[in-house]
Amino acid sequence: MFEPVLLKRTGLPRSETIGVYVENGGYQALRKALECSPAELIDLVKRSKLRGRGGAGFPAGLKWGFMPQGNADNCLCVNTDEGEPGTFKDRVLVEKDPHQVIEGVIIAAYAVGAQRAYVYIRGEFFLGVKRWIKAIADAHEHGYLGRNILGSDFSLDLTVHRGAGAYICGEETAMINSLEGRRGEPRLKPPYPAQAGYQGRPTLVHNVETLANVPHIVLRGAEWFASIGTEKSTGPKVFCVSGHVFRRGTYELPLGTPLREIIEEHAGGVPGGRRIKAVIPGGASTPLLTEDQLDVPMDFESLAAAGSALGTGAIVVMDERTCMVDVARRTARFFAHESCGKCAPCRLGSVAAWRILEGIEAGEGQEGDIERLYALCDGIAGHTFCPMGDAQVAPLRSALDRFGDEFRAHIAMGRCPNAA
Amino acid sequence: MPEVHVQIDGRELTVPHTFTVLQAAERAGIGVPKLCAHPALAPIGACRICLVEIEKQRVLQPACTFPVSEGMVVHTNSPKVRDARRFVLELLFSERNHFCMFCEMSGSCELQSLAYEYGLDHWEYDRAFPRLGVDASRKFFVMDHNRCILCRRCIRACDSLVGNQTLGIKNRGAQSMIVADMDVPFGQSSCVSCGTCLQVCPTGALFDRASAYMGATEEITRVKSRCVGCSVGCGVEWIIRQNRLIRIEGDWDAKPNNGLLCEMGRFAPLHETRQRVRTPLVKSANGFEETDWDHAASMVADKIKAAGDKLAVVVSGFATTEAAQAIVTGLPGHKSLADGAAPAGAGACLSVLDEADLYIVVNTDVAKLFPVASFAIKRGMRSRGARLIILDDAETSLDGWAACKYESTAVAKAVELAAGAQMPAIVYGAAGASVAAQMAKALPTSKTVAFAPGGNTLGLAGAGITAAAPRKDARCFYVMANEMAQPSSDLLTALAQADFVAVQACFREPWQSIADVILPTPTTYEKSGTITNAEGRTLALQAGTQPDAKSEVAVIQLISSLTS
Repeated sequence: MFEPVLLKRTGLPRSETIGVYVENGGYQALRKALECSPAELIDLVKRSKLRGRGGAGFPAGLKWGFMPQGNADNCLCVNTDEGEPGTFKDRVLVEKDPHQVIEGVIIAAYAVGAQRAYVYIRGEFFLGVKRWIKAIADAHEHGYLGRNILGSDFSLDLTVHRGAGAYICGEETAMINSLEGRRGEPRLKPPYPAQAGYQGRPTLVHNVETLANVPHIVLRGAEWFASIGTEKSTGPKVFCVSGHVFRRGTYELPLGTPLREIIEEHAGGVPGGRRIKAVIPGGASTPLLTEDQLDVPMDFESLAAAGSALGTGAIVVMDERTCMVDVARRTARFFAHESCGKCAPCRLGSVAAWRILEGIEAGEGQEGDIERLYALCDGIAGHTFCPMGDAQVAPLRSALDRFGDEFRAHIAMGRCPNAA
Repeated sequence: MPEVHVQIDGRELTVPHTFTVLQAAERAGIGVPKLCAHPALAPIGACRICLVEIEKQRVLQPACTFPVSEGMVVHTNSPKVRDARRFVLELLFSERNHFCMFCEMSGSCELQSLAYEYGLDHWEYDRAFPRLGVDASRKFFVMDHNRCILCRRCIRACDSLVGNQTLGIKNRGAQSMIVADMDVPFGQSSCVSCGTCLQVCPTGALFDRASAYMGATEEITRVKSRCVGCSVGCGVEWIIRQNRLIRIEGDWDAKPNNGLLCEMGRFAPLHETRQRVRTPLVKSANGFEETDWDHAASMVADKIKAAGDKLAVVVSGFATTEAAQAIVTGLPGHKSLADGAAPAGAGACLSVLDEADLYIVVNTDVAKLFPVASFAIKRGMRSRGARLIILDDAETSLDGWAACKYESTAVAKAVELAAGAQMPAIVYGAAGASVAAQMAKALPTSKTVAFAPGGNTLGLAGAGITAAAPRKDARCFYVMANEMAQPSSDLLTALAQADFVAVQACFREPWQSIADVILPTPTTYEKSGTITNAEGRTLALQAGTQPDAKSEVAVIQLISSLTS
């Protein structure tokens, strides 16, 4: 049985308080980190093979290495704009154990030489915002933040900024724009945030879960971390399981745990003994998996090989009664609603796809709708300003590929074939 | 500058390494379609119509933002590229109301011409048919949101060129709308109606009231000339159809305005309400009566001869340098400038305003009198964080932008504040000259930008007309007024006391009732010649339409021949 790392403390009473955190070994990693040089820490994280948990899976150590050395303008942004449908891991980490993340932030900031750090949090996370603010204030009071942290030369300020509820602000440059008070829209890259991010300063942007791993790597070593999971996908991962399962919730397991094990053993399987029709393995922007693919190990490489992606590790289980046109329609509506409107293919393509799917679902599907949907997939994918184009195409194309017959039946019958 | 070798559509090119693929293609004369990109604006890569295929790139890339690199191989017109562009066009046409035959821009629309190029003959996707507003609250041009493709050229022009930042976007995704300020009607916003957004709009979303439906691209001719409204001397393009001016646009290639114009320069000549003077007029018992040139010219010549040295010739800043030369050589008497003389120090380059980190504006309402120069000041404040200090006793239009404002004599305070600036620019007109001179002395790193009062004051002065006011004992006046609206009160008093007043003007004005003879003269877009702007740059005027009046010079020569 895998012993949880990130969620270890979340079950404790008042786990969000600094007292509970320190009693349970908190801020020990920080003391250890401050005795190391920044270069040693970057090397440590590189050796741990920690990869970003926000969706793209970029190696964290490499990202740290991109930051210019000794630049006093460097800053760090914590991306708590958890917007991917089906994802609720950062929320748990922030609400239940904010100090774990703060400790990770301080260590990362120390490693890249940042003296300012910002938390960009989803505006709807009311409790999360409260917990962040309280935790930062407590950390200040105990000398973990502010001037000369724990008597060292290193100083860091951490500020919370609430977003206004836009999915696109999970994209790092859009998040930086929003943080600056501009429209939440992605920026042109290059320059990358590590060159010119927040207010033109070199900026390191990390997901909450990525940073939560950092104290454990410092405390227990890169080799320990690398021993968890698979060769290239190391460490523990918080999986969010939702949909048609008995026990929905967050499960912390090593990367590479088979999808079937997560669904059947940890989440208790599908109620009523129904069969699984499809699974979204990593949030709404990842292609669907079907029942025959349930044995896929949940890591970056295996899922890519299976034609999908790990994404944020948000597993949405759909049983045999689910209407896949409806799934596609809801997903398309989400992306049409969340498109920032900057580039034409995403702004218009998302709406066009959604309208066609609404038509099919309402029994007004027409000959050629499926071809049009495929044409939209081809036209949007790779042609948009930011990865949101690919994100919206992935679930739609996989639904069309794997459940094309269901779409055709909808159009032919004028109703859902699954309905009684 | 380091250069790189690229291959575009099989053609080998060597271009600077800072170029984008679009710039490289355009240098080679390879057309890449664009909707959001514009030569005067920084690219944002939003419309995705300029997608090109670049070898070794996983997906198509926008030419407008993608930088060139050594050995890059680009295909701008492969089937894959054409499909992607056609897809974007199909979507754009399905978004709002793009029924071209009802659009005033039909024939001049960048979206429409792309649709022809890519053979769009039907709608692939359902149209949304939103009913969006038409904002006609601005006096000279209209925003029709139904034609908007959200390319954001207008927003970027308002921000990066004019420095006004009036325009923005509300909502997101397909609900995005161009708005002014905090979503107020354009006419009530901070818009200065310079019309730069109108000039960059690729579709019929922004259209000019005067030239709507008046002529498509193929039916018009463009003539490059200059605006003489103030001493900035902006480059303009007269848009002419069938010997008629239908629109004025800023000339992107012209210094110092680089395509920008102000409300007056762009719209005033097309919305002229004053009555045009078309034939010579002579005062009679019932007001003015039309007469012929022989009668009017000989009458003026007789009075000039009789006046002897009591003749005063007054020339407005709208006159060309050639007219001034004809006056100096052909007419006797004392010659003076209607707008007053240029301040000392005129002749500095206006590009100083695009380098300064501090502006000190002395006793001049720049935004009102020299608007295009105020755009440079706003631009500097927005993009480079430059500061503005105003020394003025009266209210000015830039007060809200100023870091601080003092009375016009507070030189010491301004100098103290300016101490840290690397390059302060002292901006002044005729009224601020002495204060500005003190400032310039106290700030050795400063540069001055002085504006002459009239459009061609420096050109007139160069031709020999330097006096600021007519002589006191003048009994006979010859006033070359052109488009001038109102002479100074001193001049009016002098005119009222004169025995004979001849006025050469484009338009009838109430003050001309004191004239004995009114002679017609061409307007700025009807005449050719040269002017000299505040920078001391000699600029050419070119007639857009054939004048229906004798040229300025011809009238002076006619009178001159009759007086000798």
